[in-house]
Amino acid sequence: MTTAPRLAARALTKSYGPATALDRLDLEIGAGDVYCLLGANGAGKTTTINLFLNFVAPTSGQALVCGIDVTKDPLGSKRHIAYIPETVMLYRQLTALENLDYFAGLATGEQFPRDQLVQFLVEAGLRADQADQRVGGFSKGMRQKVGIAIAIAKRADVLLLDEPTSGLDPKASNEFSELIGQIRQRGAAILMATHDLFRAKESGTRVGIMKHGALVAQMDTAEIGHADLERLYLAHMKD
Amino acid sequence: MIRRIAVKEMTEMFRDGRFRWASALLLGLMLVALATGATNSRALAREHDAAQETMRGFWVNQGAKNPHSAAHYGLWVFKPKMPLSFVDYGVDNYTGVTTWLEAHKQNEFTRRPAMDQASVARFGEWTAAAVLQLLVPLLIVMLAFPAFAGERETGTLRQLVALGVPMRTLMMGKAIGLASALAAVLVPATILGVGTLALGANFGRGTDDVLRFAAMIGAYLLYFTVVLVIALAVSARSTGVRIALLTLLAFWTVNSLVAPRAVADLARRAYPTPSSFAFLAGVQRDTERGLDGHNPADARRKAVEEQALREYRTISLDALPVNFDAIAMQASEEYANTVFDKHFGDLYDQYRAQNTLTQWSGLVSPLLAVRSLSMGLAGTDIEQHRDFAVQAELYRRGLIKWTNNYFRDNTRTGEWDWKAPPELWARYQSFVYDAPGMSQTLRHQGAALSVLAIWLMVALGLLWSTPAPRVA
Repeated sequence: MTTAPRLAARALTKSYGPATALDRLDLEIGAGDVYCLLGANGAGKTTTINLFLNFVAPTSGQALVCGIDVTKDPLGSKRHIAYIPETVMLYRQLTALENLDYFAGLATGEQFPRDQLVQFLVEAGLRADQADQRVGGFSKGMRQKVGIAIAIAKRADVLLLDEPTSGLDPKASNEFSELIGQIRQRGAAILMATHDLFRAKESGTRVGIMKHGALVAQMDTAEIGHADLERLYLAHMKD
Repeated sequence: MIRRIAVKEMTEMFRDGRFRWASALLLGLMLVALATGATNSRALAREHDAAQETMRGFWVNQGAKNPHSAAHYGLWVFKPKMPLSFVDYGVDNYTGVTTWLEAHKQNEFTRRPAMDQASVARFGEWTAAAVLQLLVPLLIVMLAFPAFAGERETGTLRQLVALGVPMRTLMMGKAIGLASALAAVLVPATILGVGTLALGANFGRGTDDVLRFAAMIGAYLLYFTVVLVIALAVSARSTGVRIALLTLLAFWTVNSLVAPRAVADLARRAYPTPSSFAFLAGVQRDTERGLDGHNPADARRKAVEEQALREYRTISLDALPVNFDAIAMQASEEYANTVFDKHFGDLYDQYRAQNTLTQWSGLVSPLLAVRSLSMGLAGTDIEQHRDFAVQAELYRRGLIKWTNNYFRDNTRTGEWDWKAPPELWARYQSFVYDAPGMSQTLRHQGAALSVLAIWLMVALGLLWSTPAPRVA
């Protein structure tokens, strides 16, 4: 298990009839990596994440989480994953703490003591006094923080993030990136689909550019400046 | 995991204002239904008991009288109110609760409150049974329709699946959570019902009534489980909450409004019963011409005459040591009884066939099955009515035979002016209805029980076979 990459795609392909949503994707993401998938809408970013979650079945190829084929052991593979969608959805009638308790409890089968649940929420950037507020009135940024708290409680090896910062104001977006950095340092592998080139450069360790279902370019963010990344991205989007 | 899901469902439910209002309303309606049911039942039971006692008094105190006149004087008997009738009035209001026992005739039942009402009132009887059969399923539908469809629409279902929560665990948890929330409404209602039953004055056959009440609770629980499981299965298979709600409301409407009326019409067409007029005409025709049409009344009288002469070894009726008029009356009574047995038997057999058809129609609407069980267990169904009618008729036959025999043995033919002593009438025992036990009642509910069992299995199968939700 230690040798297997946290996330791996092997010639992963998804077709809907004649349309190919994802075309022979090969990808490996190890512990401590933050891999940012860039690309226009419909380029295949969300399809990739859905395939790792086994929400859709691949047409061919394999999606592996910690070496587990997600179609063969859907429940086993999900034990390693924390998923944060574009907007984390919560139960309006419950407080932040109750939501965290519910999701974390279902994810781990553990009953966390109240202090620890508050601690997770604080680590995720919420104030302790917000723990007992019902989430009905929470902003998107606050919801995302509850989502992060769930991921922290789950001690997930893999984070799958689907445009988690779209619609966040710059400050909230910045806070979110910092949280991602902290989780990375705990050794998680992170796959994030995003439109935000700036965030990708700031918080990503690698970026991949997708187009029409294919990965057309990959690079380490350390090796490329922000302006170069933008130029490269636009060049790929041209034709 | 299941427990955690159930607790979360309950927490959400109790915090939801709609649930609190709906359940308070339901509990209130239940309270009103039980209170009016108990008050009415008790008042009617008192009235019936008092009336029957008065009628017995009239019979006993009718003074010196010719026995045949006494038989014509007759008496009224009343079907006693069953202890559980406060929950379910059943068909009592349509069949009537009292009949006049007299010489020569098996009378129909009268005092049918339904005759005094517009047909619209058939919908409006506010009994606990109506609340349990119609409103509780509506509450279940209202609570359960978003169970899966709502979470799918908001996206929380997607997150749960991403956490690795198995679909069936989620189903079990939701079913238990919703059932527990419902129990918060139904348990107080049941306690109220038990209290009402215990306070009831007419608590005749102790253990059997307790058994019937327990069986009734069981039948309704089975019904609610079926509705809950169907609601969850529909919610799990619907793409959105609107579809789930519409589907379930359609189910509720068919179950509680459309199917019962349609099936009632169907049963009447499949097994028609004669009009009151045609029925009486048929009885009269067979009494006069004989059941086979070739045995007219005067021929039968001739045969009775010959048999009496043979028996007493005389050649003329005047020489008989007994009253031949009484012999002839009893003979015609007995012939008429065979005619009644045939006609009333046929009539009740038609009702039974209608009921069996209705119970099986529960395959379309489980309400029909539980309604049948509920009435049967409450002792207000047509079978118990028939049982009462048969016992009353047997009492009538015994009574008339007793008057005829007394007339026969104490007079000679033609002594119509003779009067029996006034103390005679008290010597015939008063009528006491012996209600059937629960096992006898359940014999006629086989179809209803099968139907509910089939529904439960189908609903569970539907729920269990729900595919993992399409979330992408």
